[in-house]
Amino acid sequence: MTEHLDTRDDVPLETSIPEAGAPLDSILRTEELQRRPSRPPAHEKENEALVRLTSALADSPNTIFQTLAEIIHDITQCDSAGLSLLTKDGKTPHVDGRRFYWPAIYGMWNPHVGGGTPRNFGPCGDVLDQNRTLLFTHFERRYPYLMPVSPAAEECLLVPFYVHGRAVGTIWAIMHSDRRKFDAEDERIMASLGKFASSAYQAWMRIEDLKVQVAEREKAEAEVRQLASGLEAKMRRLVEANVVGIVMFNLDGAVISANEAFLHMVQYSREDLASGRVRWRDLTPPEWRDRDERAIADLKTTGVFRPFEKEYHRKDGSRVPVLLGGALFEGGGNDGVAFVLDLSEQKRAERALRRSEAILAEGQRLGQMGSFCWRVATDEITWSEQLYCIYELEIGAPVTLSLVRTRVHPEDMTLYEKMLEQARGGGDDFEWQYRLLMPDRSIKYLHAVARAIRGQDGQLEYIAAVQDVTERHLSEEAFNKARSELAHVARVMSLGTLTASMAHELNQPLSGIVTNASTCLRMLATDPPNVDGARETARRTIRDGNRASDVVTRLRTLYSKKKDFSPESIDLNDAVREVLALSLSDLQRHRVALRHELGEDLPPITGDRVQLQQVVLNLLRNGSDAMNKIDDRPRELLIRTERYEEDHVRLSVKDAGVGFEPQAADKLFEAFYTTKPDGMGIGLSVSRSIIEAHRGRLWATANDGPGATFSFVIPCRPEGLADGETGIDPMDKAPEAA
Amino acid sequence: MERFQERGAAGRPLLSVVDDDESVRESLPDLLREFGFAARAFSSAEEFLSSDCVDGTRCLILDIAMPGMSGLDLHQELKRRSQKIPIVFVTALRDEAIRARVLQQGAAGFLLKPFSDIDLLAAVKTALRAD
Ligand SMILES: Nc1ncnc2c1ncn2[C@@H]1O[C@H](COP(=O)(O)OP(=O)(O)OP(=O)(O)O)[C@@H](O)[C@H]1O
Ligand SMILES: [Mg+2]
Repeated sequence: MTEHLDTRDDVPLETSIPEAGAPLDSILRTEELQRRPSRPPAHEKENEALVRLTSALADSPNTIFQTLAEIIHDITQCDSAGLSLLTKDGKTPHVDGRRFYWPAIYGMWNPHVGGGTPRNFGPCGDVLDQNRTLLFTHFERRYPYLMPVSPAAEECLLVPFYVHGRAVGTIWAIMHSDRRKFDAEDERIMASLGKFASSAYQAWMRIEDLKVQVAEREKAEAEVRQLASGLEAKMRRLVEANVVGIVMFNLDGAVISANEAFLHMVQYSREDLASGRVRWRDLTPPEWRDRDERAIADLKTTGVFRPFEKEYHRKDGSRVPVLLGGALFEGGGNDGVAFVLDLSEQKRAERALRRSEAILAEGQRLGQMGSFCWRVATDEITWSEQLYCIYELEIGAPVTLSLVRTRVHPEDMTLYEKMLEQARGGGDDFEWQYRLLMPDRSIKYLHAVARAIRGQDGQLEYIAAVQDVTERHLSEEAFNKARSELAHVARVMSLGTLTASMAHELNQPLSGIVTNASTCLRMLATDPPNVDGARETARRTIRDGNRASDVVTRLRTLYSKKKDFSPESIDLNDAVREVLALSLSDLQRHRVALRHELGEDLPPITGDRVQLQQVVLNLLRNGSDAMNKIDDRPRELLIRTERYEEDHVRLSVKDAGVGFEPQAADKLFEAFYTTKPDGMGIGLSVSRSIIEAHRGRLWATANDGPGATFSFVIPCRPEGLADGETGIDPMDKAPEAA
Repeated sequence: MERFQERGAAGRPLLSVVDDDESVRESLPDLLREFGFAARAFSSAEEFLSSDCVDGTRCLILDIAMPGMSGLDLHQELKRRSQKIPIVFVTALRDEAIRARVLQQGAAGFLLKPFSDIDLLAAVKTALRAD
């Protein structure tokens, strides 16, 4: 019967009550309930029933309807008892449902549990329409749909069942014989049970609802926890990598914890830290306290402070220059975390630069070359000593444009003014020749090359080299020479030599490596071979190799702070050869056989040599690393360069290593993604930024055989590539690291 | 070291290396000796000038960038003293302008670090011929 009733949902409602159905009045006996002799109220039984319902609600709320049916059966001594509820989905009650379902039936009709009828196909529809208790006799006379349901219902008492104040169905009791008749007490007690069941049901729904909410909440929390632990792991790696100092501090001046890198920087020990002796306030030299206070003010208002440079005292009282940036913990009040970068190396490079400037000054004296700096906005002019000599003015006298004009040859005056005007408006480098008319009427020929730079305050400044070319000005040859010298001097003076000083640092140990290696070979080639000598030179080769790799490591860290980008014309093959020379000992140590196929027709490219070399170095290192554990096949690394299309070059590094899963192909390039115990996971992400800054692409492919191939393609003449642009900064790409 | 000086006395041409980088001072003389020369190393221009090798040196292998007196300064100073020692400059700085300048001022050779043994030998031989 269940099946057959269930499939009738599509029957139109108008046809639900067949023409032949008996009128409602003819089968209703409701009024009789009051007239029949009634049992006395069974309060005790009723209480018991309520207790049963309550504990059912507590123990297994989903059986509350079943319990209710049992209780009705028990208390009214009927033959069948159950519930009919409106539903939309067949599983839960819904006030707008178009059919009834029977969630629980106890007694003789129990086999029909789970079945149901369309809304107007049975007596329940009438109960809901009239919204009151009804007593039926043989309702199948009106509802032929129910005719086959057996045994037939002699009498049926139906009480509305409400959820949230709205009737959603009925609870009912049926007598299949005239063994007994329902009375007013049955009506009363069913209404009471119905009310209780309704609120129990509502409570249960609320619990279910809460459960869903709780589950959702827990899920969200778990996600956050997972995210946090991922971040934590990344953070921990950053801390443990000891590339930068990491410090947990509070605003009172304490250093709560710090990693090795920081302790090393300030030369305190873990014990010092544990004893609370390491306080950032005390580490800060007096002249930096104001700057600290500004950072603290920022921290208090915004929660972060922007990175700035300062100094710390080391334990021995010496100072270390650092770059410092940090933030307060979210909601942590007084506590925060900061990163600290040791700038000693950078400062050293700057000092070296100043030293070479000093050497330059000496060169100026020898070459009769002077220099000046002109701040356009304020007309502040600084001259070198040699320039005073050239102009024959007292050294140190304040220089003004009008003072300069007193010396400029009258015939060159218009030219001179025009040049000044251009320089004020322009901001381009310029070069000019002019004459001075000296007090003794002699004439001097000067040649000047000026470079425009932005000073620290962003204002336009010119730095110029001026040479007295009187003696040679007639000689075309001499002029050309002076010109190239001057261009050089101006270039050196305009900073930007960091790259060069890095290359210098690298070339020193490389030089040692090459020399020692050649010596070693020659010592072994003599007869008899000088084995002791060879061993000694080999030892030095290895040492210099390590030194070179130290430099590279430092380059990488320095690099992450370096933003300038110096494009030049590069022979990619040359650049690659340099990297190979640098990597060779490392690769050999890892038993990697390196092959190279450097394309012969490679066009020159425009780009940053050192940066591109870093990319190549990275790819070689990664390739070598990927073969670290490969022992059943040769550890072969192939580096290849070739022309790509008309105006691109392509470089690829192919290894026979462990390879990668296809779905990980993009992950590899994410900052801080690494599978190596000592990896930082920045190699590929930095490399990709570099290649993209060159308007190129860097990608990974799996080999047909074992291993992977990493390739990049860059245009020879990338458009829109200019000095200083590119925001290459691996830290930018990793918000987690901030 | 003594042994090689003796050899120098025995007629092998003496080459002096002036470089502030220790690994160069360590490695280069060994290689030069392998070539069959006598060799001495100095860590600065000043040290070289105050040594007893200035007169005996047949060829100077000179770093450009050094603290104190630079290689270029030493070159000028030797010219001033009318010491005509041929000079092969070595530098780790890749700078075409400097190369042009030193060659124009009379340097016998110019090598970029790192350089191969063959280039070094060629440069030294050219320098010795010029002497
Ligand atoms: N040639 C390769 N074959 C297989 N996997 C690779 C290869 N190159 C990189 N990977 C994978 O990509 C990850 C990220 O590489 P990436 O160079 O960015 O960082 P890293 O090498 O782990 O660390 P770091 O660059 O700081 O030394 C590596 O840890 C490795 O799992
Ligand atoms: Mg890497």
